[in-house]
Amino acid sequence: MTQAFVSVRSISKTYRSNRATVGALREVSLEIEKGEFVRLSGPSGSGKTTLLNLVAALDRPDQGEIFVAGIDVGRLSGSRASKYRAEQVGMVFQSYNLIPQLTALENVLLPMIALGRTNRSRARELLDLVGLADRSNHNPSQLSGGEQQRVAIARALANDPALVLADEPTGNLDEQSAERVMGLLTNAVRERGRTLLLATHERETAQTADKRLELRSGVATPVREMSSSGYLRSSRSTLIHSNNRGDYIESSTS
Amino acid sequence: MIWVKLTFGGFGHRLVEAFAAAIVLAATSATVAASLMVVEGARKTLVRVIHQDRPDVVEVKSRFNRALFETPRSGNLPPLTIPVYEPLIDPAQLEAAAGDNQVVKRQSLFRNVVSGDSFLNIYIFGIDVDIERGLSSFSLARGRFLRREDRAVAVLDQASARALDVDVGGTLPVRKADGTDLQLTVAGILDRLELRGAPPRTAETPSLRPDSTFVSSGAFVNLQTSEEIFGRESLTDALVVARNASETLALVAKLQEAFRLEPGIFVTERYSQYQRKVRDFVLTLALFSALSIATAVLAGSFASNLLHDIYVERRRQYATLIALGFPPGIGVAPAIIFGLVLGLAAVAIGGLATHAFVPRTFAMPSLMADLGPTEPTIDWLVVCSLAAISIAALSVGLASTIIRLLREPVAASLSEAGP
Repeated sequence: MTQAFVSVRSISKTYRSNRATVGALREVSLEIEKGEFVRLSGPSGSGKTTLLNLVAALDRPDQGEIFVAGIDVGRLSGSRASKYRAEQVGMVFQSYNLIPQLTALENVLLPMIALGRTNRSRARELLDLVGLADRSNHNPSQLSGGEQQRVAIARALANDPALVLADEPTGNLDEQSAERVMGLLTNAVRERGRTLLLATHERETAQTADKRLELRSGVATPVREMSSSGYLRSSRSTLIHSNNRGDYIESSTS
Repeated sequence: MIWVKLTFGGFGHRLVEAFAAAIVLAATSATVAASLMVVEGARKTLVRVIHQDRPDVVEVKSRFNRALFETPRSGNLPPLTIPVYEPLIDPAQLEAAAGDNQVVKRQSLFRNVVSGDSFLNIYIFGIDVDIERGLSSFSLARGRFLRREDRAVAVLDQASARALDVDVGGTLPVRKADGTDLQLTVAGILDRLELRGAPPRTAETPSLRPDSTFVSSGAFVNLQTSEEIFGRESLTDALVVARNASETLALVAKLQEAFRLEPGIFVTERYSQYQRKVRDFVLTLALFSALSIATAVLAGSFASNLLHDIYVERRRQYATLIALGFPPGIGVAPAIIFGLVLGLAAVAIGGLATHAFVPRTFAMPSLMADLGPTEPTIDWLVVCSLAAISIAALSVGLASTIIRLLREPVAASLSEAGP
């Protein structure tokens, strides 16, 4: 049996702050094939960002395993995790996380610098792709929110990563900008055949997703929706069901 | 260019706080540097005291003129009658009192030496050649130094040799106690000499430095030759070197006890004065160290607090770099480099300002009465101390950011509010 490109197996994560313990994820499992676009939805605090951070090796699960492109992400050391992020992962954040003192072009160059492969012409191409070629020398403070997120998308694609993780990329944008950003992101990823895991709390965005998953209180469930024929069905999914207590819906495939 | 921007750019209003932190660190450095320079100057003074005064050396001297000596007629020069010291110290008694401490025997003879048409009032020192060189220094210009087996051989300082018009291989006559002359052969000429412990001061010595314990001119013969000139073995003066400096006062007591019935023999020590100097140094060290520590803690904590604010505001930026694939060490490098540049620049400014304005000599009579004035000194110890204080302040300011980024998940910092 071949392993999926992204394979999350029964991971749990809890956070401790002062005396309180908060369960962010409970035995979540999912599999994503290469080139798939997976939408992860759920209300604030449901564990979407935690799951993305774990897949990006920015954090470690308390239990369970995460494999990305055959790499055991949960067990990577600090330097290997950095290399993994630089080579395999592109990240888009809700609040853009652009470096304010750098220009748009320099922000796009950052992941390349991390890999030691600075390529200004590629950075310009990516800015052109997101429609900001003429704003390459502008600082983030001179760009609108939508433009900043487009720069962030260009930055996420800088090293041509196999996996793009987007954490509520339209959360801070107005509807028009959100649509444009989402279109750019999905098109750019699909055109390159890359895998996209998109976290959003908005159910209506990312309708073109290959697979949809909903996280509620740290538990993952596949989303069921009305098909064009009017039958209730689950979205095409290779979701592995989870949770030993049985309060978790089984996986299904369209 | 990107790294320069990442490190030094985008501070906005925080740049004012960084500037304030630099000024505080510079002022701290200046205060601490001045204090440390005084301490370092005092330490060097104390080291010089130990080297020059040798508190472990006890001087035993006889002082009374007991005889007159008449020089022979030479050419047109009439005979002269001059005072001489009658040696009083019995070497056997001295050695018995000194125990297993080292005894440096001497005979100091003040002589009017006539050579050709010249004459000179000169000290002739009978010394224990091997032991004396451990305490005094002799630098030869020509010829050789004395040897234990030499007889009727002398070495002179250059001024005395010129005055007597003799050179290596030449001779000069010295009247012995029995009234006959002993021809001394000059074996060497000294260009510099420091004989520790001045001879008795009944007569002025030509080149005795004011306030110095060293004699810097004269003719030197070995002890056997001077005994031949004197006609006796007793000593005019001697040094006793304590095995351990802390035993000096006990040694002095034993020597004073041994010579208590000899009114012309004086036992003097420098250890008590040295102890007072040490006490002065300790007080100076304590006062200025306390001043340095208080300044460093108060001002350093203020500066580190300012830096902490700056770093906290940029924490998300460093976390973003790590999230983009930079190794954690590289991700926080801009913070560390910024802090180092800020701190070291402040230290350099503070240190240079202190070096420019600190007085050349410093003394607090109430505190340093025996130690005396010191020369505030800047050296590597001071520079390293300043750098350490600066780095400590920066580390404290940076600690929470570094710990957060390296120990806790980077993800926690990515979602923080910030630019």
